[in-house]
Amino acid sequence: MSELLFGILGLVVMFVAMILRMPVGMAMLVVGFFGTWALNGERSAMALLVTETYSSISNYSLLVIPMFLLMGNIASVAGFSRGLYEAAFAWVGGFRGGLASASVLGCAAFSAVSGSSVATAVTIGRAALPEMKRFHYADHLAAGSVAAGGTLGFLIPPSTGFVIYAILTEESIGQLFMAGILPGILLTALFILAIVLITTLNPAAGPRNEQMSWPARWKALSGALPLLVVIVISIGGIYVGAFTPVEASGIGAILVIGLAAIAGKLSWRTLFEAGKDTINTSAMLFLIVVGASVLNPFLSFTHLPEALGNALQATHLGPFGILLLIIVFYLILGMFMDGLAMLVVTVPIFFPVVTGLGFDPIWYGVVSVIAIEMGMITPPVGLNVFVVKSIAQDVPMAEIFKGVMPFWVAMALCLLFIVVFPQIALLIPQTMFK
Amino acid sequence: MTTDDTNTTHPATGCGRRWADARPIQWAVRASTALSVLSLAILLLVITASVVARYVFAAPLLGSNEILQLCLVAMVALAMLPAAHGEQHIRVDVLDAYIGKYGRYAGDLLSRLIAAFVLYALAYRSGLQALDAAEFGDATNMLAIPLWPFYALIVLGAALYATMLVIQVADLWRCGVNKHV
Amino acid sequence: ELKLADFQPATHPYAAGVYAPFADEVKAKTDGEVTVRVFMGGELGTGPVEQFNRAVNGVADIVFALPGYTASSFPKTLLTELPGVISADTGTERVQASLADLSKEYRRVVLLGLWNNAPNLLLMADKPVRSMQDLKGLKIRTPSRNGGRVLEAWGAAPVSLPATDIYNAMQTGVIDGAMIDATTLQTFKLAEVTKYVTQGMQPTISSFFLIMNRDSFKDLPDSQQAVVQEAGKTAALNANRIQLEVADKALADFAALPGKEVITLSADEAAPFDAAAAKVTQQVIDDADKAGLEASAYVKALQP
Ligand code: NA
Ligand code: NA
Repeated sequence: MSELLFGILGLVVMFVAMILRMPVGMAMLVVGFFGTWALNGERSAMALLVTETYSSISNYSLLVIPMFLLMGNIASVAGFSRGLYEAAFAWVGGFRGGLASASVLGCAAFSAVSGSSVATAVTIGRAALPEMKRFHYADHLAAGSVAAGGTLGFLIPPSTGFVIYAILTEESIGQLFMAGILPGILLTALFILAIVLITTLNPAAGPRNEQMSWPARWKALSGALPLLVVIVISIGGIYVGAFTPVEASGIGAILVIGLAAIAGKLSWRTLFEAGKDTINTSAMLFLIVVGASVLNPFLSFTHLPEALGNALQATHLGPFGILLLIIVFYLILGMFMDGLAMLVVTVPIFFPVVTGLGFDPIWYGVVSVIAIEMGMITPPVGLNVFVVKSIAQDVPMAEIFKGVMPFWVAMALCLLFIVVFPQIALLIPQTMFK
Repeated sequence: MTTDDTNTTHPATGCGRRWADARPIQWAVRASTALSVLSLAILLLVITASVVARYVFAAPLLGSNEILQLCLVAMVALAMLPAAHGEQHIRVDVLDAYIGKYGRYAGDLLSRLIAAFVLYALAYRSGLQALDAAEFGDATNMLAIPLWPFYALIVLGAALYATMLVIQVADLWRCGVNKHV
Repeated sequence: ELKLADFQPATHPYAAGVYAPFADEVKAKTDGEVTVRVFMGGELGTGPVEQFNRAVNGVADIVFALPGYTASSFPKTLLTELPGVISADTGTERVQASLADLSKEYRRVVLLGLWNNAPNLLLMADKPVRSMQDLKGLKIRTPSRNGGRVLEAWGAAPVSLPATDIYNAMQTGVIDGAMIDATTLQTFKLAEVTKYVTQGMQPTISSFFLIMNRDSFKDLPDSQQAVVQEAGKTAALNANRIQLEVADKALADFAALPGKEVITLSADEAAPFDAAAAKVTQQVIDDADKAGLEASAYVKALQP
């Protein structure tokens, strides 16, 4: 019992440290380290620190992190992402709210080269937000579509969220990636549906543009071609089994570099800058992985996950009741915490509970990633909202949060569909792996 | 997830040049960045080469995994200093307004000092591990690459990271609570 | 209280068949003064690779690990992996009788129990192996460096891959097959992606051990040290028995599935494999002798 209290105390200290502005990964590392020291002595704590650091940063599967980051960074500096947006613009820009839909589609397409929601929102936002301003779109619709569209970066493969989930739960990165595809498409469709509804109710929010001619449309699509080729080869390569996820990430990165070089859009300078961004973001992500790997053994020592599982079982809510409780908890936590931080803190605690209830671990990966994405646009802490704010400085925060609300509802609907029809997540991984 | 876009708040601005930006430190950051990016480039080339070898030449590179894993260690270890210098981290800053100026100042000082302690501990313990690995000749399975240099890189990365935090603490201290953001 | 760490799932048969009796024996023979708490499922750190370091550094007191993951530390221990050195059913007892020969390799940890796995077989996705010719140029996952040498001698192209990646790699054709023991047909669900299994040649055989942190061991009085050592030996025998039982059952279940085939080579068919492997075994033993490991003597002691 005292060990259990100790575990709860550890978590409290961790949240206090985070409030006192300690980086999330460091807060987990610090609590895991000192907690283990207090429970098991200095030797155990030191041992944990050194073995888990080395094992995290030498983890073969985690190679996908720098490689997919590099792929997205190069696509961004080479201007390929702009091509994606312009193609989407040419095809759907003529409809009511079409620019907002084009932003969502652009985000969905860029999500297939980028593992990060923030990078997706930044990249597409830089191209899309000025356009929507130019065509007098309502600020809330413009900002909302980019902030929400950005969250697709986490769901559509490659996804940092799935990589971290896979590492925490020892599930297959490849299967999780594949499980994200259909929900990603579904969510994109629901986002566009939301835009159609908003602009039907309030046509002034997203006025119609003139339709582009067919030749102009095909021309715009050809501008998006390089990146589409990379997406098909690398993500498609995982699906047909040509590559492991690590290989796919490396091939994707080298292809983007090659295409950018051929297109004359790459200098040594920009290449180095993209590399620099990659190693910096990687360092931050690896700190989180190290922090989680030191914290988790500490939590095991305290029996906390076990006790929580028993407590949830004792509620007699049944599997779906408990699942609902967990999702609601995610939504509340999402108001205060960053998505990735939520993932690393909660998955080790909830995963054994959820799989113990008989839910599919891959499916639960998709469910928790969507729940976490909702957190990324839920006030007051919505990382994606902050990102959009940094690009569109003149738009008030309240306006952006108002703008994301319809999309938040769309995400809740998507989540509901996936809970009711698990096949949406599981169909592709199951056909791929028999 | 964060990109360099969040890299805009430096805790100690408005009171002269920060020690954290002194010239020797900037050189160290640049050198560390360059070497980390070099490791990244090697990663990219080895992954590509191993795919090509397997597909085109039907001759898998036995042990390429080991090169990749050790290169990843080098890349991350060397990226620790630049990441600390650029303060690229996910933070939960929702309650910043509530904890007030003193809360933020104390938090920034304290969290850095505690983190520095843990990182020095990591450096020290990894140093022992490096010595141990050298003494017993620990090496990878297929290619027999010695492991001790990679533990040594962790020592370097963690120690530099911790030192950067200590310098930032000194900057914060010199600057005082009133110029803290 | 001693903490025992295993990275395998809590449902693994070792939990009930090896660790529970081990904990009971230690508790009973120390009059309840020493208890063992088992952490399964990688609770104290995931994956097999770092297990040895977890024991050396003392993340846990007792650790289940595979010497093959830190091969550089255990060249002599790993000789039993080579074809023809031990047989799967008697290997563990013979190794236990010669444990003293291995003492130089266990300076950083205390060896409690060392046992061998069921023999490694060739699990093939869709290309049957009935002769050495069939294996030519195929990409086969190897469990170790020595395994890779054997595969090369058989004409295959060895690929090194974490055990957890085999399923995907076989399913998708990244590799044509894997050299691994039959228990994985069940534990890693490899039966789903395997169509043919080939056995009958002298196999490579992997080993496992239970190792203890030196300081944790020294902290125990002599009498309790002896109890833990003794319980470790029992644990090794139990674990070996479970390993072989699970392997037999997994292979039988596999053979009973429609469309699956277990190919057992006849003595004539196996001869080329064994001849090629024997050269590798001899080469590795000679190299180890040159490195001063007294390998020939050790291997001789293991022979029936
Ligand atoms: Na993505
Ligand atoms: Na939030």
